[in-house]
Amino acid sequence: MPGALSSLKVIEVGGMVAAPYATKLMADLGAEVIKVEPPGVGDPSRGRGPFPGRVPHREKSGLFLYLNANKYGVTLDLARPEGMELFERLVSEADVLVHNLWPPDMDRIGLSFVRMSKVNPRLVMTSITPYGLTGPHRDWRAEDLTLWSAGGICAINGGGMDHPEMPPLKAFGSQSGFQGGVHGAVATLGAVMALMRDGEGQHVDVSIQEALASQLELFFEYWPYMGLIANRLGRKPIQPLEAMQCKDGFIYLCCVEEHQWRGFVEVMGNPEWANEEVFGDRFKRAENWEALRIFLEEYVSHQTVLDLYRKAQEKRVPFAPVSTMGDLLNSEHLKARGFFVEIPHPIAGTQTYPGAPLKYGATPWEIRMPAPVLGQHNEEILGGRLGVSAARIAELKKVGVI
Amino acid sequence: MAKLPLEGIRIADFTWVWAGPYCTLQLAHLGAEVIRIETRTRPCITRQLPPWPQGKGGSLNRSGYFNQYNQGKKSLTLNFKLPAANDVARKLIAKSDIVVNNFAHGVMDKMGFGYDALKQTKPDIIMISLSGYGDTGPYRDFIAYGPAQVPLSGLSALTGYKGWPPMHSGFSYADPNAGVHGAFAIIAALIHRNKTGEGQYIDMSQWEAMMALLPEGILEYTFNGVEPERNGNADPQMAPHGVYRCLDRPGTILGNTIDQFVAIACATDAEWVTLTRMMGRPELATDQQFTTVMARKANEELVDKVVNQWTSTQRAVELAESLQNAGIAVVVVADNKFLSEEDAHMRERDYWVYKEHAEVGKMQHAGVPWKMSRTPTEVRAAAPLIGEQTQEILTDLLGYSATEVESMRAQGALE
Repeated sequence: MPGALSSLKVIEVGGMVAAPYATKLMADLGAEVIKVEPPGVGDPSRGRGPFPGRVPHREKSGLFLYLNANKYGVTLDLARPEGMELFERLVSEADVLVHNLWPPDMDRIGLSFVRMSKVNPRLVMTSITPYGLTGPHRDWRAEDLTLWSAGGICAINGGGMDHPEMPPLKAFGSQSGFQGGVHGAVATLGAVMALMRDGEGQHVDVSIQEALASQLELFFEYWPYMGLIANRLGRKPIQPLEAMQCKDGFIYLCCVEEHQWRGFVEVMGNPEWANEEVFGDRFKRAENWEALRIFLEEYVSHQTVLDLYRKAQEKRVPFAPVSTMGDLLNSEHLKARGFFVEIPHPIAGTQTYPGAPLKYGATPWEIRMPAPVLGQHNEEILGGRLGVSAARIAELKKVGVI
Repeated sequence: MAKLPLEGIRIADFTWVWAGPYCTLQLAHLGAEVIRIETRTRPCITRQLPPWPQGKGGSLNRSGYFNQYNQGKKSLTLNFKLPAANDVARKLIAKSDIVVNNFAHGVMDKMGFGYDALKQTKPDIIMISLSGYGDTGPYRDFIAYGPAQVPLSGLSALTGYKGWPPMHSGFSYADPNAGVHGAFAIIAALIHRNKTGEGQYIDMSQWEAMMALLPEGILEYTFNGVEPERNGNADPQMAPHGVYRCLDRPGTILGNTIDQFVAIACATDAEWVTLTRMMGRPELATDQQFTTVMARKANEELVDKVVNQWTSTQRAVELAESLQNAGIAVVVVADNKFLSEEDAHMRERDYWVYKEHAEVGKMQHAGVPWKMSRTPTEVRAAAPLIGEQTQEILTDLLGYSATEVESMRAQGALE
């Protein structure tokens, strides 16, 4: 059975995470994705790692290998007319173009929807950019940290009541890019649905800042509704909602509902202090958290993570371990679900990667081939597909277009 | 005007709290008709949480939390303790394309709405469950709450200041992440159904959807057997790279002064030279301690101290503006007030939505994070009052007579 998106033809001009993650989601469901990289260096994620043995090598970067499995790879210099001409021929045969070029770079090479839709009126073109393609910050520079900050998320993390001196804190990794990518993928598939119905393409302009600002839980609305700043220095409305140290690692204590707290008290063997009026409900436990914490830390410090986790879950209390990477790789649950996958690669070797974020009943999520070596499919795609002669390809390689 | 991308697609939305509602919000943005099945006997927790206008709750319709994530949807109230409610839900599913839920594993089966049962009602139905742990595996019956999924996923172990314990992400990140991945999965399944006529079931684990975002941490372990160290706001290939205190003091919380911060990501040596000039410290551009990224990484504490000294004499907005003009990635670390009132860019892109709502009026809400050129997507209405469309759905869509509706109401089946 082919994947749900097996009829979809996608061109990606992606660097780092946003566009590559959007097209990875599609490729893993069967879409044909042709990734266009700049000749010579390729996608900057090739330099990002992690690398086996921590030795940088452009064919061994974990981030690149993870994001670009299942894709064909060609190299084209889009700033050169010969490169753009071949690119337009690729686009003319595609359903979707996803890119995350910085807007001034789009301007520089002349990549626009007006131009692409002349080449292919059925094209869905998705631009995933830090701030979107309009507005005063269109051309602002951005990195993961600055986007996580501009989207309002840094301000609600880090420090806290006990450590107001500590600064706002970003989440690990490339979360802004991932969120830009997955929101971009949703909008792109929406436009593909409209294409299937109407036979016409369109331009989708995705702002990563906006994708992040739409995920602020109840924090954003404190200002419009109540005139209150929601900030990392505030007190949690209910407790316990904290990580604490066990004998062998950290566990996250989570009692949202009253019955969950009662379950936790039973797990602890109904200690006397738990009946104190000052801990009588979730709001009081938050107000008196400084006192409660001392009792809980004492109890938790004598437990092991897995034991407390299981005992709590038996009473329907939603605790969870603070998983290390080793915990994830060794989890009996994730093993039973087959989450992690091995992907063989001619240069990086066979390595273990995160697998399917969703499981379909009828159509597969599958890894069909590893990430491309830089320019791996130039002959197959540019020669075989577009009919560019071997001599011409050699000539274009020599002048650095391919 | 062109029809919206998902116009004509109907969603029976059994979700609650945040993950599921964030999923169906994306589908509502794209034009789907989303019908939330709610009950007054156990209302969605987000209807009961603050913020409320003027801090006054006392109604299930005043929460900014609910009103944010349910824009453009309809609300149908049913009390499943009564058989009539089951009949209504079954009829609704027969007229729907998609069923979404984020209950724990097995709950829909117990209600009689498992996938096999639904397939009898509607053979090409697409059903998705966004559960904490997924439908298989030894922990499938474990329960998951948003805040705990962040540490479970591995993100907490990777996030935190250097040498400090694991930290949270500050919000229940696994919820919207599962929601948006679920929306992607649903539309892909719709594309498959369009081609083949075949529906299907989708099993999504919130835990797994989070791990999909952690390759840099997970692969450091699988490639090298090493648990990555927590490293605050630092970046392995950029310095300075952090958040720095500014002169502004926008307010206080619990007696703590709120400082304003900027985030600075200096990506190249050339940008460092520019930054030293902007700081009025041109001598640092040639100081061997700082000339290369490697040197600045080796002396990062000192670099951060120098930058902090300067930023603490500057106003955040002007500083971000002037450094961006010089080509460096700098922004104000935005809080909710800043986003709401001071971010000129988002305002100019018409991101914010102000739809009339019967109990809270025209409140400011986050809108659609993308723009489409031919089928303009937008928030079409404010979030529904609880049960607001019950009557309309029962009579207009499902064809119940006024007498039948009255009888169900009298039994309490529409609570």
